[in-house]
Amino acid sequence: MIKASDAFERIIHWWLAITCLLLIITGLGMMFHSFNFLGIPVGGLKNLKLIHNFTGILFIPALIFAILIWWKEAGIFKFPEDLEWIKCAGGYLWHVENPPETGKYNPGQKAFFLAVAGFGVLMVISGLIMWFPLILPRALVSWMYPLHALGLLVIFPFFFIHLYLGTIGVPGSAQAIFTGYVTRSWAEKQCPKWLKEMEESGKLEVFGEEKGASH
Amino acid sequence: MSEKAKLYDATKCTGCRGCQLACKQWNQLPAKQTENRGTYQNPPDLQPNTWLLMRFQEISDGNGGVKWLFRKDACMHCTDAACVKVCPSGALYHTKYGTVALDQSKCIGCKECIYACPFDVPRYDPATDKIAKCDMCFSRIDNAMEPACVKACPTGALQFGDKDEMVKLAHQRVKDLGGNAYVYGDKFVGGTHMIYVLPEKPAVYDALPEHPRVPLSVIAWKDWLKPFSLLATGGVIAGAFLHYLIHGPKDTSGDKAGEGGGK
Repeated sequence: MIKASDAFERIIHWWLAITCLLLIITGLGMMFHSFNFLGIPVGGLKNLKLIHNFTGILFIPALIFAILIWWKEAGIFKFPEDLEWIKCAGGYLWHVENPPETGKYNPGQKAFFLAVAGFGVLMVISGLIMWFPLILPRALVSWMYPLHALGLLVIFPFFFIHLYLGTIGVPGSAQAIFTGYVTRSWAEKQCPKWLKEMEESGKLEVFGEEKGASH
Repeated sequence: MSEKAKLYDATKCTGCRGCQLACKQWNQLPAKQTENRGTYQNPPDLQPNTWLLMRFQEISDGNGGVKWLFRKDACMHCTDAACVKVCPSGALYHTKYGTVALDQSKCIGCKECIYACPFDVPRYDPATDKIAKCDMCFSRIDNAMEPACVKACPTGALQFGDKDEMVKLAHQRVKDLGGNAYVYGDKFVGGTHMIYVLPEKPAVYDALPEHPRVPLSVIAWKDWLKPFSLLATGGVIAGAFLHYLIHGPKDTSGDKAGEGGGK
């Protein structure tokens, strides 16, 4: 087994994931009248609004840490190899014999990171303005609502694809966010370049490899 | 049920503010201490406890004289009401009379209607964390009474009745008046349920939009982004499911090509 994420990364991942999911659910209760019932278990829509707002506050540090942790590995596209990967969709949509080798994160994951980072910041800013609107110019405030809706429109599809590919879409991925360890074969397929670099620099942390490799 | 409307004929108005007071009385909105600002207009603007405000304005008549304009400012009760469109809880709603009423018990104090209203009508009350505005005395009109302001009007400047009839009356009155007289309320946001007969063009009046409309931000948000987000959500969920069925999960097992068994 190969160490793919440390404890801090895993904690931040779950902190971000749980606050984000809670924000989506509580936000949904306010976005559609047909989801107003989501306010019932918490004693009304007003409480749902408060939960949404304060979860948003908890989302801020998670977002900041996530950006600090992952921007180097997941925030920068590397050309031309990333372009080659994008051209064949990494082999995720149709059969590709040898998809271009990727580092720790493939361009799809980079796009997800950038969407969450960029639109996450936008959600925080627009959300705070929506929470405390009365001191600000009318024209500015009125555009925060569609921007907030746009943020959901961008983040939710990315989030769902991330969820799918992190679980049943690419088996063996989910361990990276629970134990932090992935199998060598998973790493060879998902992040071959990173694996080579880590091995060459001797930084790769391996656990129980001999036993597993001898089979 | 036919749509109802209120007709305000500013040319018959004497600015007595009987309507402003009647509104406060019926809706139990006691006034707070105010300040003399050297004008009849008091308080200076609509407030959480002032749903109807008489606006007083002096303009030059062009001959060295002064004209005194009155305008009864309150919710216009739009047919295409931006506030109803944005209200997340359904606190703001259309009644069977076409008017826009407010169920304060449902209001969550999000203030979204404040930034949607083209007439700048809803007011936020920090004490209750709720919005307040004129509901055209829903409790009265639903019991076959006229709104309190209409009831109190001593000059007949305010009338209440079927919307079609009120619009017709307004146009007849403007025809009779001639000059700059103008019907305000029937030409935008699907038609309002408060119709003005104004002696001057709308542009002359303070705090009165010439071309009110549902803001583009509200249309972008509620008519474009909201349905599109539903489409995108359905799209990715269905897409992921189909991807799993057609393309299948990625093989991340140790089997190398050629030496793998069944995979």
